[in-house]
Amino acid sequence: MDANLFGRVVVVTGGDLPLVAGLAAGLAGSGAIVVTLDADTLGSRPAAEAAFAAVAAEYGAVHGVVHAAVDPIAYERVPMHEVDDARWDAVWEQTLRRALFVLQAGHTQMRSAGGAFVFVGSPVGMAGAAELAPYAAAMEGVRVLAKSAARQWGADGIRVNVLAPAPEHVPAGVASGELALSPPALGGAGDPADDLAPVAAWLLSDDAHFVTGVTVPADGGVWMAG
Amino acid sequence: MVTGGRTDRALDGRTAIVTGAGQGVGRGIALALAAAGANVVIAARRATTGEPVAEEIRARGDEAVCIETDCTVRADMEACVAATVGRYGALEIVVHNAFKGGRAHRLEDLDLDLWDENSRTAAWASFYSAQIAYPHLAAAGDHGRLILITSPAGVEASVGIPAYGPVKAAQRALAKSLAREWGPLGVTVNCIAPVAETPALAYAFEERPELKTRVEMRTALRRIGDAEADIGGVAVFLASRAGGYVTGQTIVCDGGSFMGL
Repeated sequence: MDANLFGRVVVVTGGDLPLVAGLAAGLAGSGAIVVTLDADTLGSRPAAEAAFAAVAAEYGAVHGVVHAAVDPIAYERVPMHEVDDARWDAVWEQTLRRALFVLQAGHTQMRSAGGAFVFVGSPVGMAGAAELAPYAAAMEGVRVLAKSAARQWGADGIRVNVLAPAPEHVPAGVASGELALSPPALGGAGDPADDLAPVAAWLLSDDAHFVTGVTVPADGGVWMAG
Repeated sequence: MVTGGRTDRALDGRTAIVTGAGQGVGRGIALALAAAGANVVIAARRATTGEPVAEEIRARGDEAVCIETDCTVRADMEACVAATVGRYGALEIVVHNAFKGGRAHRLEDLDLDLWDENSRTAAWASFYSAQIAYPHLAAAGDHGRLILITSPAGVEASVGIPAYGPVKAAQRALAKSLAREWGPLGVTVNCIAPVAETPALAYAFEERPELKTRVEMRTALRRIGDAEADIGGVAVFLASRAGGYVTGQTIVCDGGSFMGL
């Protein structure tokens, strides 16, 4: 694997899924110094700022952030008429707030030297899915929040992009085949470390220095709607 | 009533709730739905703005009532839906249009108060509108309609108001998901992304006179939309039988400005 992130400090949030562990391993394979943060360190802006500052103090300037933290409750399929306020809050509100705090804390660390964010999104948000409306709303919210940040922080040398893996990587019970009219062109959902991490590494690397605000579906050729 | 008893209009006999209908796009949609025959509930946060719109509709010989409603409060929305069904016997059409929180800001300075205005009025109120109306929309079957008012910023974000795009994006994802979830019932769920002359836009143009020319010049039709004729007409289409096979979509109604869909 190319060492295109050699010596760069990359924060990875939300390590509970094989998807995220694979991304972290793959990024380490690209030479990055990978530091993982739990979702519970991102519940408020001060907490997120402190967590990112601690990473910088221990490992050096933060260059990149891969934000993947989602409360697993988001993957539970519930008809909209049975979603209560607590569930909507956990899935919509807290997912968006966490993403906001990660952006703000990352910006604090990266605003002087620049850097890059990769948000792990979901094609479930782009296509919609029955009984997953809160998750879909949260994923689309996060995806466009990334675009908002990309638009404002380009001048600060900070890029923000979204990686959209196949839905099989989260336990929401959605198959790639439900999201497009044709099956995956390359077959399968891909391996996080071998197939997805190189895309994340490229987005974080200087090779992608002119790419921001985009969504890259790394899904083996399912999502081709734009 | 001048037009009372007519049964030849697209929405005769239907009942609609429009949130944020005290002004702007919501008012235009309410006027248009009523002119198409619907009984319209003006769900406005303040009766002082909502009641004149209801009065305006009744003065035209159409049917409307104002129910003071803060659509970000579950109990308020429940009371509004219950009163609507109590008065008109059914509820077929819900248009969630209300929004607050469009002040310019920097993302690094965004505080939770401004975020909450965006999140509560766009995302939470969409959740409440959809969920509380659900049993009535389901009962309405293929007359059931949920329409969420979103924005091109929900697709491509907007540099000056970074909290706005995400909450408008959430509405598009909700529409797609609920279109799939409620499709088997016959209920359609769509978004309209409008640009129209509203008090908010008029204020922005007053503050920055060059903005009006800039918006007009990037608009293929070279004019800013009329809330009733241009946006309301699209809402009537989606609410009517003619729009019954359109679901999960965002109709950008901006005179040909954003073409990214």
